[in-house]
Amino acid sequence: MFLDTLISLDPVASALVERARVRGAYLIWRAQERTCARVLVRAGRVEDVATSVSSGHGIHVVDEHGGGALASRDDFHGEPALGLFDRALEAAGHAHRLGVPPAFLSGLAPERARLQPPGLEAYRRFDPSRAGKRLAELEAEIAARAPGLTTTLALSTDVDAWRVVRSDGGDVAWVMPRCVLRFSASSRGTERHTVGASVSGPSPDLLDDPAKVATFLARAEGAARLAAALPDAPSHPAGSYPLVIDYALAKGLAHEAFGHASEADGFRSSVLAKDGRFRSGDTVGAPHVSIVDEPVEGDHAWQPYSSSGVPRDRATIVDRGRLADALTDPWSAPMSGARLTGADRAESFRVAPLPRMSNIRIEIEGASPAQGAFEDYGPEEVRELLASSGVLARHPEVVYLSGYSGGQVNPTTGDFVFNCKAIYTLGAGKIRLHKPAIFSGSMFGALHAIREGYGPLLLDAIGTCGKWGQSVPSSGGSHYFLVLEPAPTVRLGGR
Amino acid sequence: MDLAALVFALTGAREDGCFVDAWSIAATEARRLTLGTKDARTGSPHAPLALSESLAARYKIVWSDGRISRGVLDRRQIEQDVAIALREARVTSYEDPDAKIVLGPAAFPDVAVFDAAVDEIAGGAVEPLAPRLAAIRARVAAHGFRTWSGSLQAARATARVLTSQGLDVETLGTSWSWHATFDGEIGAGISRRSPDDEASFLARLDRAIAVALALREDASKRPGGLVPVLFHPDVVEELFIAALLHNLDGAAVAHGTGAFRREQFDAREPVLREDLTLRHDPLVPLAAGAYRFTQEGLPARAVTYVVGGRLVSPLLDTKYARRLALTPTPSPSAMDTVFLEGPEPRSYEAAAAEAAGGALVLGVLGVHTQDFTSGDFSMSAPQTLALGDGGRFGGRLRATISGNLFAILRSPALRLVAFPGEHTPGILALCHLDPV
Repeated sequence: MFLDTLISLDPVASALVERARVRGAYLIWRAQERTCARVLVRAGRVEDVATSVSSGHGIHVVDEHGGGALASRDDFHGEPALGLFDRALEAAGHAHRLGVPPAFLSGLAPERARLQPPGLEAYRRFDPSRAGKRLAELEAEIAARAPGLTTTLALSTDVDAWRVVRSDGGDVAWVMPRCVLRFSASSRGTERHTVGASVSGPSPDLLDDPAKVATFLARAEGAARLAAALPDAPSHPAGSYPLVIDYALAKGLAHEAFGHASEADGFRSSVLAKDGRFRSGDTVGAPHVSIVDEPVEGDHAWQPYSSSGVPRDRATIVDRGRLADALTDPWSAPMSGARLTGADRAESFRVAPLPRMSNIRIEIEGASPAQGAFEDYGPEEVRELLASSGVLARHPEVVYLSGYSGGQVNPTTGDFVFNCKAIYTLGAGKIRLHKPAIFSGSMFGALHAIREGYGPLLLDAIGTCGKWGQSVPSSGGSHYFLVLEPAPTVRLGGR
Repeated sequence: MDLAALVFALTGAREDGCFVDAWSIAATEARRLTLGTKDARTGSPHAPLALSESLAARYKIVWSDGRISRGVLDRRQIEQDVAIALREARVTSYEDPDAKIVLGPAAFPDVAVFDAAVDEIAGGAVEPLAPRLAAIRARVAAHGFRTWSGSLQAARATARVLTSQGLDVETLGTSWSWHATFDGEIGAGISRRSPDDEASFLARLDRAIAVALALREDASKRPGGLVPVLFHPDVVEELFIAALLHNLDGAAVAHGTGAFRREQFDAREPVLREDLTLRHDPLVPLAAGAYRFTQEGLPARAVTYVVGGRLVSPLLDTKYARRLALTPTPSPSAMDTVFLEGPEPRSYEAAAAEAAGGALVLGVLGVHTQDFTSGDFSMSAPQTLALGDGGRFGGRLRATISGNLFAILRSPALRLVAFPGEHTPGILALCHLDPV
């Protein structure tokens, strides 16, 4: 259904492949059709419904001397496409004048596949007016639970269809459906704080899915209560502390601290590489800690094929404390010494794909159980969990970082930061709320500091990764909670 | 730019028994050339020489039953599938009485936004890029940087706004930008409508290299606390001005999701220190943020947002101008047309000397994770230089900084600082800094 247009482009694809053959060039052709919509509700009324369509194709050529160039255009007409190919090849010929080193690609298995996940018909049925009414109902329900705040609800839908054809015979096409239901609450006093929450799913029907809605309402209520409480909360002193982080922050830690440094396009400078080669086998964390990246079906960041048309593999970046797999694409894998994991993704047909994460998680061997749903755990329940497992006997006071609000890393130095939505100090008989503060440190210090995990894996923490100016969906998680021992290289900001 | 099919379809559209009562289109047709360098490899497969052609149109439709449709069409829809696109637009229509305004003809100011040399590069002439790359590579080699990354970009774009009220205005502009980052640490760059001259380019590059070299030495250990911090103009733009603009957004003011309330505009109570002004002037010739008209067809003009520390106007499109009963304003599209002003800025040298014992914060990690509504910030500042006697660099501090942006902008201790070659002033203020 959503691949019809791209599949109908066989004549264009064939003509481009033939021209590449005649001109002795290697071709990767990427066609994309993406349809997005967003319904936004504030104070019970629809404030905005915006839609966009973005379609076109990108022609990545490598000439016989290894010169490369990428040309793109936002239509699918045959003649302009061939003209674009010629411009790209001409530009590739200029590359050596700018000191561009040659780069060749070979030996890829020519995968041929079509993949459309089930449930896409829900996007055809999607009715923005009805969605607006439903969002207003949910807003009213949240206001009843946590009154006195200014709230915003938005539903975003995104159907992202791709086809990648290579001159070596590869031809894959797939559709990535994504929906996100977001909430934000702002306090109304003189000092205002804003706190957000979200749930995601592969279908706009999530608005009618009782389980998703219940999770959303629980998270939104928590965010609203936090927005109301933060103006009166003090700042937490800066320093190194015993920490508990939730699964969303653990996703941030995995993504910022390790994921980016394991992306093979940066191995000339990454701290996880030496002389451009991945430091596979090196010990980088505690032996009970692993970091895994893989596309998860139905997930916000699911992508079954790479933007070079290679099936995306599971990558065990850290296997029980040791570096194992890197996130590689066909260009970087041979130089990196790591196996090809098909990790390249692109924001659009206009840009060159880069190795990057999909759903990344931290797994702890022997994690302790935690009963019930994650949303059942407020700071008191977290304290009980820590008390019953002896953590509070080891550390009379533990700093609990709750909720992820984005992060950043410098893969060259290994310095990472991410921010939380709230800080609680948990001690015997007392719980105190503090304003959020930056959590920063060195990736090695952080991974060695992880001591315990609680609860099952929860992988639905979502975000947007902005590497090299390209935004793509990201996701991940961990066990409900991780405990980190104090480490001098892992610090909480603050005052 | 041929929009005839789209205009024809709009004027004749009938959906659900409704016709199009009014419409506006803001279309852009662009051609762009980009050359990246990633990990010292120029034009690598991850940062290739890239050429792109695009046409997109942002539209607003006011239907005869008063409903509104908004969206973005791509070239294929504009040229081939416009009937389908309009049918889908009707399906997504919604009630919004404040969004019904469609502008008519007006007098549009002239401002230089086109440069022939950039136009040539955007068309594929890569030769002018070679000397720039050579200069960067020579400095990388001379100073022993392990790696560098960056990009050079040139584009030409025709922007056109048409409305059912008879407005039809078009302009041809160019854009030029470059940036280079050394050892993944610190960099330099600029965006303009025309190329910076060679002397300015080299001077900017050399200033960045000087601080990159200074970052190689570690500072001696020092305690944390409230110290004089000199924020580089890049940090001022990214943090202070971005936070102000975020909270000045008309939607945030109207809905109460920002720091500023409607009643604070034109009130006597200052929100910033009483000698600070924030204004925007899109009529600066060849600035990256220069333009003649907005996407709604509003003529460009200078706007003051804050004067004497008091709020004057939010950033207002026609919808939120009507909602707040204020006049619509053009909005900034780049920082080089935004002016943070106050008392005569101190020279960099004087300010650095005044900040002795404190630090120069050149870059921060995690700006996008901050809550701009509260103004509270807590960030990592890995590119920070200790400042010693006379303002001399005292080595690198890895630090976290924290505080409240509004408190700093209200502080009597705040000083604006003129940095060589920078449009935006730096800020010298007392700030909590904790070396790691």
